Formats: sequence, structure tokens, C-alpha cells
Amino acid sequence: MFKIKNRRHFYEQSFAFASRLSLIICAGVLLFLLGSIFIQGISALSLEFLFTPSSSFGKSGGIFYQLFGSLLMVLVAALLVLPLALGTALFRNSYNKNSAIAHIMDQSLYALNAIPSVTYGIFGLIFFVNLLNTGISWFVGSIILAIMMLPTVTLSTYQAMAAIPKIYHENAAALGLTRTEIVRRVTLPQSFHGVVTGLLIGLSRAIGETAPIMFIATAFSGVSVPQSLVEPVSTLPTHILELAQQSTDPQALQNAWGASLTLVLLAATFSGLALFLRSRLNSEGHQ
Amino acid sequence: MSATSALKAKALLKAKPASKRRDATKAYCQGSAVLSIVIVSVILLTLLIQSLPVLMSGDNGLIGTQWNPDEGQFGIIAPLFGSVFVMIIATVIAFPIGLLTAIYISETRSSKLRRLIKSILELLAGIPSIVYGLIGVAYLNIWVADLFDLQSGRIILTAGILLGIMILPTFLTLTEDALSAVPQRYRENAKSLGMYRHEVFKDIIFPQAKVGIAGAGLLALGRALGETMAVMLVIGSLDRLPSPLFNPLSSGQTITSKLGREVGESAFGSVHFSALVFMSFILVSITIALTILSHYFLTRKPSDV
Repeated sequence: MFKIKNRRHFYEQSFAFASRLSLIICAGVLLFLLGSIFIQGISALSLEFLFTPSSSFGKSGGIFYQLFGSLLMVLVAALLVLPLALGTALFRNSYNKNSAIAHIMDQSLYALNAIPSVTYGIFGLIFFVNLLNTGISWFVGSIILAIMMLPTVTLSTYQAMAAIPKIYHENAAALGLTRTEIVRRVTLPQSFHGVVTGLLIGLSRAIGETAPIMFIATAFSGVSVPQSLVEPVSTLPTHILELAQQSTDPQALQNAWGASLTLVLLAATFSGLALFLRSRLNSEGHQ
Repeated sequence: MSATSALKAKALLKAKPASKRRDATKAYCQGSAVLSIVIVSVILLTLLIQSLPVLMSGDNGLIGTQWNPDEGQFGIIAPLFGSVFVMIIATVIAFPIGLLTAIYISETRSSKLRRLIKSILELLAGIPSIVYGLIGVAYLNIWVADLFDLQSGRIILTAGILLGIMILPTFLTLTEDALSAVPQRYRENAKSLGMYRHEVFKDIIFPQAKVGIAGAGLLALGRALGETMAVMLVIGSLDRLPSPLFNPLSSGQTITSKLGREVGESAFGSVHFSALVFMSFILVSITIALTILSHYFLTRKPSDV
């Protein structure tokens, strides 16, 4: 009996120790990641860095056109995905009564979510750049990023629609509204926050993507503001990739850290806005 | 009962005048839904069709270890092995740490602290993979090289560690969700029976949460297999099986790093390109299977267990 109690006690102590140790490791990794990005990045970052074009293959100068290219590409992607995601979510929520179709839609969205980012790049290269013969084009990059954002935005919108209390629909129907009127006057306004949070989360992921756009939408140097849809742009992630490959050059590395911090701050801004919106609208909803 | 029939009657009465506009909205929604499903099918079909040239060309050594486009040798075994090997290292690092930390967090009473940790994890999961790659290039590969006294730290082990760090937030936060979903009264009952914390976890919480934990693990595995940029920068891109086979200190190649390095260089329509697309098709098949399986696990109720 005594022995068993001892063993139990020993296990208990080791269990507590291991879980505390894991927490400390996680916290350490976290501090190291955020610390290195911020400390290395802050010394490179300045207004001048943000607003001057890069020169001598990114080693000197700033990241103005990269910043511009990244923002252009993700914002256009958001505009492209918005109507599609909204329509898909509305169909799933308001029009579809067939559970088999709902199942197929869900699985398709999960599948889209599961496709590795590099595969999107290969698909874009085959389908748009070669079969449709667009050449390297920032707009194709936007289309591909829009497809990548589709599951996130659709699921977020759909969840917001499904969370609308049933009584709203019943009241609207009792007032004699048709289904389309219910969609326009109840479902859409009540789930608008889901669309916006979904878009923001999608934006924060899309802006950091490298693999999907590096074959199809970007060029490393000699790029400024595109004059047409079928020109390449330069983006922050592909810029960091090029600089990281010259990591033995301290100047290149310095600029890579600056671009990384900019990218992380942009992504954090988008997801922070999404979190803020979600918590604010949630608390309003409970009143 | 009569309320619903009255509703139906009203809807019917109303249906005619608004029918034109309703059709437009409905058609738009149906069109969007169809387009969403078509996109997925087009992506998978495109990959499959573009894989055909290499599958139909005989004597290409596809199920082999030699990769040499000039001699028409396109063996996919080395990158496939590399992907699995790196994934295993990442798993061995991330899963125990993630699980133990999730236990610690879920046993914390303060919901404020939990929410803070969750927000930080979300932030971490939002760091772009290229930035992880930069950290790998700037720090990790130098540390690993120093530790094992190697000339270059761009080896399978470095890629595995980096990947482990990358999947940790995803695994941790989903596992924590699964643990927190176990009702609090189970813990209280077990503790009042005099069970130690490790026994509460082993005998009460884990059996309830294991399906959710499995889902979290599968999702993290899918992420690990599909991760490109960070792995590509630190793995060394060597198209050979490591020797001896399970030597994590040798350079290697994963499917994703191979795709990232070579797709831009291969000519569209060539057998070389087709071989790369075929690899990507295999990768997609595995990750989609893992993700769908994980959704199956994650959406099952604990009471089904």
C-alpha cells in the first residue's frame, strides 16, 4: 500500500513537472519568435524604409513597391472572394434544403482548406499562366489568393448566418416577407459581421502567402506600379524569400528582417481587427 | 401547426409579385455555390490531367530513388520519404509539448488567462511561413550546425524542428479545445474521489477528449506535410535518400521543397513538369484525406466515444 502511494505520488510529481516544463518551453519559443522578429525588425524599420523603393537587389533602399504590391494583391483578392463567398454561404443557409448537397459543399470547402499552398501556385501556373496564356500577372495572383480565402470567408459567413436566432426568420415570415426579402432584410444585415471577420482573417493569411504567388504573380526586381492586369508586381513575402537566400550578406538580412516585421504587423493588424470585431459584436448580440 | 400553414399561405400569396427578384437572388446564390464546388473540381482535375504525361511515359523510374531530369529519371521516393521523415520529427517535437501545455492551460481556472493565451496562439499561427523560414535561416540552422559540429545546418533535423515549432500553435489550441470540452463536473467528481491529477487526466479526461485530440493531430499533420517556404529554406534540397536511411543530420528534400525549387525552372508541358505535378497530386491527396478525417474526428461529440 505504502509503495503504491509512493509510486502514485512520483507519477503525480513528474506529470506536474512535465506539464510545467512544456509551458515554459512554449513560452520560451514564443518569446524567442516574437522577440527576434521585433528586435531585428525594429532596427531596420523606419518611415524611409517603408516609402523608398528597393535598390541593388533589395540590399539597400526600402520596400515601397513590395508593400504596394502585397496590399494591392490581397485587397483585390478580397473584393473577388466577397460576392462568391456571400452567395455560397447564403445558398447553404437559406436556399439549400438537400443535406447531400450541403455535405458536398462542406467537403469541398474543407478540401480547399487542405490543399497545400504550393499546389495553388502550380494550379495557377498551369491553368492561368499557361492554358489561358495570361503570363506572369498580379491579377492571377489575386484570383488564386481569392480561391485560398474562399473557405475561410464562406465558413465565417455561414456560421454567422446559422447563429441568427430562428425567431427573427419566423417574425419576418409572419410579417409576410418572402424568402428573398428575408435574405435581404434579416439574414444579410444580421450576418454582416461574419463576412467582415472572415474577410479580415482571410486577408491576414493571404498577405503572408509566398508559395502560391511566387511562380505566377511576382518578379523580384525592376517592378513598380503595374499598368495592366497582366503585369507582375513585387510583394513582401517573395522579397523576404529572395533576401533570405542571400542570408550571408548582413545588409540583405537586415532588410529581410525589416520586411518581415512589416509583414507580421500587417497580418496582425488584420487578425487583430477581426478579433476586436468578433468580441465587440458578440457582446452586443447578447444584450 | 396552423401557424405554419398560414405562413405558407402568406408566402404563396406574396410569391407572385416578387418572383422575378427572388429568382435573381436565388440564381446568384445557386451560381456561387456551383462555382465554389467547380473550383475544387477544376483544381484537382487540372493536377490529375497534367500528371498523365509522366504516368504514361514508360521507363521513367517514377517509383525509384533517382531524380535526374536530363536522363529521364523521375523517382519520387526520396522527396516522399523526406516529407514523411520531416513530418515525423515535427510530430515528435510538437505533440508531447503541445499536449502537456494544453493540459496545463485547460486545468487553469482563470478564464481570462486562457483567453489571453488563446489570442497569443492565434497571433503565432498568423506569422507567415516565410518569416519562420527567415528565422530558420538566420538562427536555427546556425545553432544546429554548431551543436552537431556540421559544416551546414541545412539538414532534415533543422527542417523538422522548425516545422514542429510551426505546427505547435495549431495543435495546442485545438487540443486545448478538446480538453476544455470535457465537462468540469467530471474533473470535480474524480478529484473528490481522491484521484491524482495525472490519474484524472489518464482515466477521465483523455478517454473523453481523445477523438478531438486525434482530430487536432491529423490537422497538424496535414499542415506539416503541406508547408513549403520554411522547409524549403532550411532542408538543403538534396535529391537523395539520407544514408543511413534515418539519419536526420543529412540534407534532404521534401515534396514541397522540391516543388518550390523546381517548378519555376521546368518547362510547361515537359515530362519533368508533369512529374512535379504528379508529386503535388500525391501531396494533395494525402492532405485532403487527413483534413477530412480530422473534421470527422473534431465534429464528433464526446458522448459518441
